[in-house]
Amino acid sequence: MRRSLHFGETTIKPLFTQTPSLNTRMLLAVAASLLLFLMDARLDMFKPVRSALATAVYPIQSLAAMPSSFSDWFSEMFQDRGDLRERITTLEAQALIQNVRMQRIQALERENMRLRELLGSSFRLQERVQIAELLSVDLDPFYQHVIIDKGKQFGVYEGQPVLDSRGVMGQVAEVSQLSSRVVLLTDPSHSIPVQIVRNGLRAVVTGRGLGEPLQVEYLPHNADIREGDWLVTSGLGGRFPVGYPVGQVMAVDFPQGKAFGEISVKPAAQLATSRELMLVLPGEKIDFSLKIPPVDLNADSSTNAPLMVPEALQQETPETLPAPDAESSVESPSDDGN
Amino acid sequence: MAINSRPQQIWVIYVTLMIAILLMILPLPDMLRLARPEFVVMALIYWTMALPQRVNIGVAWFTGLVMDITTGGQLGVHAFSYAMAVFMVARFHLQLRQYPLWQQAFTILSLVFLVHVVSMLNAPLTSSWHIWMPAVVSTVLWPVVYAVLRKIRRGFQVS
Repeated sequence: MRRSLHFGETTIKPLFTQTPSLNTRMLLAVAASLLLFLMDARLDMFKPVRSALATAVYPIQSLAAMPSSFSDWFSEMFQDRGDLRERITTLEAQALIQNVRMQRIQALERENMRLRELLGSSFRLQERVQIAELLSVDLDPFYQHVIIDKGKQFGVYEGQPVLDSRGVMGQVAEVSQLSSRVVLLTDPSHSIPVQIVRNGLRAVVTGRGLGEPLQVEYLPHNADIREGDWLVTSGLGGRFPVGYPVGQVMAVDFPQGKAFGEISVKPAAQLATSRELMLVLPGEKIDFSLKIPPVDLNADSSTNAPLMVPEALQQETPETLPAPDAESSVESPSDDGN
Repeated sequence: MAINSRPQQIWVIYVTLMIAILLMILPLPDMLRLARPEFVVMALIYWTMALPQRVNIGVAWFTGLVMDITTGGQLGVHAFSYAMAVFMVARFHLQLRQYPLWQQAFTILSLVFLVHVVSMLNAPLTSSWHIWMPAVVSTVLWPVVYAVLRKIRRGFQVS
């Protein structure tokens, strides 16, 4: 590399004929960085630009993900026949067990909906989901972000909840044409409203970074929370659907002299190992809040409530429920049959 | 040999920078993630030192921008820190070339540390000793990177 110095008089020239000096160029770079920094942080208008840029670098990301996807493909191609057969057997057994559970859950869901309807509360059920696959790429280790292979062309939108087979993983932070970036629960800038399954106590769970457990924030000393409690999404804030598992309380500590407890939570989702994710679609909600008549009736004559029940049911069932509640036990075997 | 001042085989530089970016986002186990050496900074420093008329603040800034977009961080952070490191190298490239390799490695240590700290200013989490890991690993790897890039430069006769 010292050779480059000894080119002779003619090649030294370009070093000095370049117009802007080093300081000027640095000044320009600083100004441009500052401008970018401010625009990115403050302007919502900048979002489409960002998403276009993210689309532009998608080839780089998929190139980096190639080795691991190739090794996946390789191990899939050369799988033992016995292994496959074994997997099919276990999966079939699992499917059977799940189906049996589903029968009970369907009946319970209908009952739950009917009860909620009587209370006049709105409730959404049966979110549709879309499968997406994780692009195995490491982003900045100080943010807990991942890239998934579904973008605008599949209707992914910012703020869309992301689940895996065990629980909530996070939400979509940025959508580009072909991919999107998901913020995981463990990201320090991410919080999610939850409630405790055991007693319905509501709280907020915040991430604390790579490899750290989640933390329940702002619970006073007298809060009823114990080790082993399950936390599910509360649906407050309107971003996450109700009732998906977030995590399990690992340790509860109320240090003296501090206003709030230190409660760590182990995420239910397998954040480090899940490859297939589910994006929750907003459609197919059954929204009872539009159907005010039962509530009005209730307000008019509270003593007639028992009389009102069948009437309300007859109104609702043909439109919203696939089958009346009374036939649920009859109907569920047919579900199982297919 | 090279009498004309036109860029020669300059694409090789961009290919090495692209490979460095790929190495930065290649999936690693969680333990190694925090110790990932700053390949892009090292490549930029090498090229600036060797060919300051080809790779300079502009190239560094754009490479940083690509890194910002690829890793999904705040735009402008990597761009700024890379430009800063390259600015210093460009300023002192004549001295740096004369240093023995181990002394260069210590320059790398300070520059990578600087870049890393700047990129982390916006990051929410800072834990004490992790900050040093990329800088230390980069320092140890510098002789290797240097040798490889020099081989590439001579092999393709980049100038």
